[in-house]
Amino acid sequence: MATIAGDRQTASRGAIPATRRRSRLMGERLYFQIGLILPSVLVLLLFQVVPIFIGMDASFRRWSLYDPDKTWVGLEHYRYVLSDTNFLFTVLPNTFLLMVASVSLSLALGMAVALLLHRGFAAQRLVQTVVLLPLMIGPVISSTMMRWTFNDQFGVVNAFLGWLGLGQPAWLADRWYAFGVIVFTDVWLWTPWFALLLLAGLKSLPKEPFEAAALDAAGRWRVFTHITVPMLRPVIGVCVVIRAIDCFRTFDQVWLLTGGGPARSTEVFSIYVYMEAFQNLNFARGSAAAVIGTLIIMVAGLALYALINRFMDVSR
Amino acid sequence: MSLASSAAPLPRPTGLFDLLRPGARAAFTILAVSAVLLLFLAPIIILVVTSLRPGWGVYYIYRGTEFTLANYFEVFQRGVVIKAFVNSFVLSTVATIISLGVTVTSGYMLSRFKGWLPKTWFTSIYVFRTVPYISWVLPLYVVNQSLGLYDTFTGILAAHVAVHVCFFSWIMKGFFDGIDPSMEYAAMIDGCTRWGAFRRVALPAAGPAIAALGILSWLWTWNEFLFALILTGNRTPLLTVTMAQFVTELGTEWNLMSAMAVMAMIPAIIITLFAQKYVIQGLRI
Repeated sequence: MATIAGDRQTASRGAIPATRRRSRLMGERLYFQIGLILPSVLVLLLFQVVPIFIGMDASFRRWSLYDPDKTWVGLEHYRYVLSDTNFLFTVLPNTFLLMVASVSLSLALGMAVALLLHRGFAAQRLVQTVVLLPLMIGPVISSTMMRWTFNDQFGVVNAFLGWLGLGQPAWLADRWYAFGVIVFTDVWLWTPWFALLLLAGLKSLPKEPFEAAALDAAGRWRVFTHITVPMLRPVIGVCVVIRAIDCFRTFDQVWLLTGGGPARSTEVFSIYVYMEAFQNLNFARGSAAAVIGTLIIMVAGLALYALINRFMDVSR
Repeated sequence: MSLASSAAPLPRPTGLFDLLRPGARAAFTILAVSAVLLLFLAPIIILVVTSLRPGWGVYYIYRGTEFTLANYFEVFQRGVVIKAFVNSFVLSTVATIISLGVTVTSGYMLSRFKGWLPKTWFTSIYVFRTVPYISWVLPLYVVNQSLGLYDTFTGILAAHVAVHVCFFSWIMKGFFDGIDPSMEYAAMIDGCTRWGAFRRVALPAAGPAIAALGILSWLWTWNEFLFALILTGNRTPLLTVTMAQFVTELGTEWNLMSAMAVMAMIPAIIITLFAQKYVIQGLRI
């Protein structure tokens, strides 16, 4: 008896008018959602959003020791950066050149490695382990070892070139050789990332089109260009967009290999900002350059995404 | 590609590659594999060999046969090196735990809910992921200095947690997308709260993927350079910056620097050898 009464009681308590119950539920849902993202939002606000606004504010002021008031100077720093020939004709071209060279080369090489790993052979596991290594070792150690490998006097590369009877360039003392070493290091670092993601993509492809192509006696190259690449398009597109955007902020490799030299000729965007802020001790000007760079990559990233989305159907 | 096996009973497809004899194809595979191995292993081997040569033998590492472990002992006689290793180890561990803890709920929310709030949050994550690190770490340097956090463990920890928020939320969303939510609904019908359904049902199911991400996060923090360069100084030495100082301050002590780089590489190698499966699983986009 008591249980029946209890049941009736809960039933009557549950009988709130439908609209009120829904709104109560919605409220609870919303609070739950807010609670779930609250820690992330707080961290993001405190340590990224607030600093970004402080940086933006600083970029409009004179920020130096002899000016404690931090006088508002408007667009002065922006004018300086945007009329700095170094920024316009060295830093920006370098940044985008590195982006194009690194992304295209590591995509091509990564695709080759992924196809190789996908074929299957005896030492596959060993190769996969070795391919994973650069990704785990990271830019600092790999730049260090590349700097040593490409050392002009004692490096192994020059020893090998000498053994072949070829010229031994001073790799890091010439703008384009040094830039080549930076690109090489970046490709070395990121080819594995492309290879592993493309390999996962290859493994998830349906088998039927390949079987049909085999029945039609299609050549390997035709299978690759007409079936593999079109079906991998979404993966390739996402990889390229992510990598290109990340490549824009490259710092470690350039800083450790050349430090932006010789004579500031291999500087990229992040190095330029760092140099302005910490070498020339002009925090405000560095901030202005940082804001300009952020706007550039946001526009470029959006354009790249739109372009790739149009030709590759990423969001399919 | 099941090309080779499925095509076996049929006339072989013709193409340049298939005109070559099977022996030549095997040779091609061997060549390609050796090229890949050489490209990715050679610099590492050069580094290891350099670290084992005595100081005077370093300059032509391919000549001579003297090998020694003295570099490793010498590196560890410098107090700053041990401090840097300990600091980096603690920082990587703590930063990983906190970032995973902060972002796991955010990823869950992005995966399970629809509406204006998840949409807005997802867009902000997308936008903030494109902001170059230097653009917020540079002002963070000023913030940390005014708060007295410059060159402290807390200061660098905050940066490391902040940098992971966007990326990890995004990846965790992918983890939870791969888990069927019907179990959580069942748990909620059986009297679980929303939070209980998340904690008791969804979280254990996503455990392995989260662990994989944790391994990667640990290594990324271990390898990080820019934050350490800007936000720390002599009081809080970190591995990567200490290593870089071997180059600039001491000129060409390549044997010592290689020894330190090899030591710094050990976690990466251990993880690659023993946790490969998890790492590849965590490397999603």
